[in-house]
Amino acid sequence: MKKTGLLMLLLFIFLFGCATQKPLYYWGDYSSSLYKYKKVPNEENLKTHKVVLVNIIEESNKMNLKVPPGVYCEYGYLLLKDGKKEEAMYYFDLEEKNYPESRQFLERFKAKFIEKKGN
Amino acid sequence: MMKRILSLLFIWAFFVLTFSACAPKPLKKYEAFPKMYNERPLSILVLPPINETTAADAKEYYSTTIAEPLSLSGYYVYPIEVISDILKNEGIYDTETLVTTDPRRFKEYFGADGVMYIWIKKWNTAYYVVGGNVTVGVLCLLKSTTSGEPLWKYEGTIVQDTTAGGSGGGLIGLVVKVVATAVQTAATDYVPIAKRTNYMVLQTIPSGKYHPRFDKDRDDEVVIIKTTK
Repeated sequence: MKKTGLLMLLLFIFLFGCATQKPLYYWGDYSSSLYKYKKVPNEENLKTHKVVLVNIIEESNKMNLKVPPGVYCEYGYLLLKDGKKEEAMYYFDLEEKNYPESRQFLERFKAKFIEKKGN
Repeated sequence: MMKRILSLLFIWAFFVLTFSACAPKPLKKYEAFPKMYNERPLSILVLPPINETTAADAKEYYSTTIAEPLSLSGYYVYPIEVISDILKNEGIYDTETLVTTDPRRFKEYFGADGVMYIWIKKWNTAYYVVGGNVTVGVLCLLKSTTSGEPLWKYEGTIVQDTTAGGSGGGLIGLVVKVVATAVQTAATDYVPIAKRTNYMVLQTIPSGKYHPRFDKDRDDEVVIIKTTK
């Protein structure tokens, strides 16, 4: 009886001992949906890629992970292309908040793509 | 007697020399890439890859696979799609013209700590009578935007066998197999193979600041191998 308990304990350590390291990020289907969009750049594939980006953001939040670098920014950029400036800014700010090192790049980007167009 | 010892010694020396020459010499990460540990770059600007193959679409496709593994190595990776559009907006369609640009410019312009140049060396599909494979090979070079010096460089190739599994013997079996191989090879997406290539290549990069092993992997060994199957 004692032996079984010990065995169970060993099994437990074995199974959970190595499972502690969380992945750094959740990337979902990112490269495969982007690849499909590049191969056939139509509305439908673009929509799928947007859904994948939103899914990465939602899943990362659920899993308590940081959203991977560049994902907020890429999603914001796609919104900007649709003319959704306000929403786009929201995501650019999230990118900067998450990754302060992106600031200089975002400032330059906003100056070029948003303020210049002045709408 | 003396002669015998001498000849034994000779044979021994012969083997030692032969085998030590063949074995890939493992280096520690800080020996292989000391500047990475001195400069500790955090943000990396990946330029659109330079395509050295005849596959015209390799560049666009490959660029979809690099952000994920590089970020998982602990680096901030600028959004590649957005960067590529900004460059196009500046009239830069080919990274070739950027290779000779002073890397320090990328610090001024984007605030990046490092700039990554990637050459696609191999991107092809091959079939032969009873088999086929897909090959993806890349050379990655990371330069400092502070000193302009190379920080890390690695080259890797993955050859994925796309031969269909056995389907009975005899001539008919062979014909079926040839057809199946052709179908499988044509349908193989490059993305998973490009991803595997990236993971292999990036195993050698010292971990970045967002990685739990940042600065703790100095003594990890890197083997300079070039092709795996």
